[in-house]
Amino acid sequence: MRCPSEDRQHAELLLEHAARKLDAERAAVLEQHMATCPACREYAAAQFAVWEALDNWGAPEVSADFDRRLYQRIEQEVSWWDLMLRPFRALFAARFVPVAAAACLLIAAGVYLQQPDGTPSNAASHSAQVETLPPDQAATALQEMQIMQEFSSVVRADNSEPRM
Amino acid sequence: MDERVEKSMAGAAAALDYDAELMLRVKDGDGASFAVLLDKHRSSVVHFLYRMIQNQAVAEELAQEVFLRVYRSRATYEPTAKFTTWLFRIATHLALNSLRDGKHERLQERLDDDSSDMPVRQVSDTRPSVEQSMVYQAKLAEVRRAIAMLPEKQRAAVLMHKYEEMEYTQIAKVLNCSESAVKSLLFRAYETLRARLAHMA
Repeated sequence: MRCPSEDRQHAELLLEHAARKLDAERAAVLEQHMATCPACREYAAAQFAVWEALDNWGAPEVSADFDRRLYQRIEQEVSWWDLMLRPFRALFAARFVPVAAAACLLIAAGVYLQQPDGTPSNAASHSAQVETLPPDQAATALQEMQIMQEFSSVVRADNSEPRM
Repeated sequence: MDERVEKSMAGAAAALDYDAELMLRVKDGDGASFAVLLDKHRSSVVHFLYRMIQNQAVAEELAQEVFLRVYRSRATYEPTAKFTTWLFRIATHLALNSLRDGKHERLQERLDDDSSDMPVRQVSDTRPSVEQSMVYQAKLAEVRRAIAMLPEKQRAAVLMHKYEEMEYTQIAKVLNCSESAVKSLLFRAYETLRARLAHMA
């Protein structure tokens, strides 16, 4: 076995030995080594002393109101809106929600019945309408389109000339 | 969330630890599970912070902040590591920040108040004499001072190793460093402590 006191990598064996974390097999090997190695014996004794000194350092009990203070802080994190609505939530849940739902239904029914023919809206007026044109009107329209086309080609030709 | 993903995540959490499973329940809105986690870890977090800061009031204040952060993070919690690793990472982060922010005041307070809120572990029922008690208090003050004088990261590593009985891998995850860096931190810390406390044997 390589001497743990000479090597940082192996020194953890001595630390774990003091912490009583070594398994029986490794502890036996280390103790066998320590029997012939004064440096490791000294190291282990000093580490045991540190361990015992630390063992005696207890921490105080946690305050009895620790949880109460924590939950109070958690409560404070809830949004102000939630806090404002909280007193009314029970009332809403118990009575006002069914009443409000019934009122909404009544208003919706009233609006529906206000329509002159009982149809939900005048959607038909917005729909596309296809009308047939008489032949003379169609010829006039085609003529007008041709004039417009000629006019626009003239304008484009004017615009393409470089400006001074 | 996809049900299969949810199931596999819950499975992974259960494999990691029961605490992570509890935290997933908190995520789903189960307040009782948060109470269980609080009950289970309250003392260890407060004690760790107390030994780091050496001021009971500040330690409790920081511990409250730790659990508040846990609660706040419930919606985004993913069980990627052991719950205690996450918990102590928050606690260590807050402790190190607190020490850096108010180092002077706390050090002064510690020096002024060597024996306050410092319980003595009674080994036997027999009442110690005044002299024995004074010797004991002096030794404890020496332990406190030796720990307080360690560099912050070494101190955190020692406290997690000694009092929380954490493995090197877990301490490494908490301190966000390699396992060999943790071994090195502990080696140096215990070397310092041996030099200061070995005479107490």
